[in-house]
Amino acid sequence: MTAPPLANLINELTKLPGVGGKSAARLAYHILKRPTVEAEALAAAILDVKSKIFRCSICNNMTDVEPCALCSDPRRDPSLLCVVEEAFNIQTIEQTRDFKGQYHVLLGALSPLKGIGPQDIDVAGLVRRVQNSNVHEVIIATNPNVEGEATALYIAQQLKPLSVRTTRLAFGLPVGGDLEYADQVTMSKALEGRREI
Amino acid sequence: MILRHITTQNFRNLGDAETAFHPQTNILVGRNGQGKTNLLEAIYFLATTKSFRTSRIASLFRFGASNVFVSGALERADLEKNLSVGLGVPPPVGAPEARTTPGQRRVLMINGEKVTLAAYLNAMSVFAYSAARLEVIRGTPEERRRFLDRGAASVNAAYLEQFARYMRALKQRNALLADIAMNRQSAASLDAWDNELREAAAPVHRARAAYANDLGEAFAQIVKRHGYHIAALEMHYRPNALEDKRREEIRARMTLSGPQRDLVEFVLEGRPASEVLSGGEQKMIVLFLKFAKLELFRRRHDDAPLFLLDDIDAELDLEILHDLLTKLPVATQLFATSAKEAFLDALTTGPHRRLTFENGRVTAARDFA
Ligand SMILES: [Zn+2]
Repeated sequence: MTAPPLANLINELTKLPGVGGKSAARLAYHILKRPTVEAEALAAAILDVKSKIFRCSICNNMTDVEPCALCSDPRRDPSLLCVVEEAFNIQTIEQTRDFKGQYHVLLGALSPLKGIGPQDIDVAGLVRRVQNSNVHEVIIATNPNVEGEATALYIAQQLKPLSVRTTRLAFGLPVGGDLEYADQVTMSKALEGRREI
Repeated sequence: MILRHITTQNFRNLGDAETAFHPQTNILVGRNGQGKTNLLEAIYFLATTKSFRTSRIASLFRFGASNVFVSGALERADLEKNLSVGLGVPPPVGAPEARTTPGQRRVLMINGEKVTLAAYLNAMSVFAYSAARLEVIRGTPEERRRFLDRGAASVNAAYLEQFARYMRALKQRNALLADIAMNRQSAASLDAWDNELREAAAPVHRARAAYANDLGEAFAQIVKRHGYHIAALEMHYRPNALEDKRREEIRARMTLSGPQRDLVEFVLEGRPASEVLSGGEQKMIVLFLKFAKLELFRRRHDDAPLFLLDDIDAELDLEILHDLLTKLPVATQLFATSAKEAFLDALTTGPHRRLTFENGRVTAARDFA
């Protein structure tokens, strides 16, 4: 029988995405074998992220300063907004170094099956930003799957009365794909070849 | 492509064992219930992760087993690849009718590496004909659509993804219709999904129409070539175009038009084939259709798929069957079962291996030159 504290750790680890029972056990035994300072550092990092990271009030990105580093960077062009589903999508686009504008994180995509409607994602915040600041173009970089496409169209509809240029990434990605798995070259091409919607 | 050998674990009544095959023709014999059709099914499962006999995947698990595993060595273009499918959903004890969710704990591997379903399905192609399965003629509209979809996928690598995309958009839209019916969302929120549904429907309609057209032509040619007496059979594909029916749809809480309502009909002189044709005639029509599908596959790919013939019986015109088989590309590896060995004579004119089944095991394997 596994000792209760160890079983407890394994149980907590299996709650992480992509971690099954076997990997959780391997991680738990690894943590157990390593020096105590390492375990303390890991525990502290986990707590830190929960206490120090919050959402940027402008773009919803994960940050420890308000506004976030991207929103407050004077070299970035505030007239160009790139809309993504999740904060981690920003990294994929940043890797290309081709995009010099700012971001808006929706915090999800439309999915009636999951009960996610327009009021559950931050389109309202996006519309406010476009209304209140000098935005020339909104690039919609939601995932190229069913939910991402429907969300892109919904956003385009909401922005239409504001007469801002609205474009969609031109994906060379397989339909049904995920932004997360786009490599840098694909992503650069997608940005370059964006089309009006 | 050639299946060199197959290994099954916990697959129906088959003993856990490796079975080696002849590169050309394999004749599986034995009394009913001894496992010969189960082995054909295992080959089909290895290629498609599905069964050609049942949609209830749980029935593939040996009684009481919590997993089922099939692996095989496939030779294709001089390369040998190891394929395996593992399913790990145990049939709930005391609830034999409960459906397992296929794909929930499914592991697909090629040469020891996990791969996606799409990549896996591209590795091995198999066509199965079972004289006991006449859904194409007698079955529900859904079964006939599935027949067309499998065919379209066999010549169009992108089709499965296009189809999955449409079905996903359809499910989303249906969920939204239910929300609107319960006043949880506005009817205007349908706009974005309608557009997505239209864009996803177009390639499905296009691929189905193209395949139905090609299949109809290939089928007519084959029937004519063999002088079969039912030459006037027509296959009609009737696409169901997306229409604006929002008000009705909100009431029904589902989408009332689109590819999910397409019809495939087999008609003889204006009447449904299922009403006019005898059982034997239906078996022959399904057989001709299968060979027409093989022909379309062959035109599209350089390679010949595996061909499974299950349950050859007296109602089939064995002379025509023999003729059809001799016209297959030489490289086509064949697997056939029959309860009566005499029916298999048509298949044993060339080099072949005869595998005898007893109690889920191969008890004898003999090669004939
Ligand atoms: Zn920000």
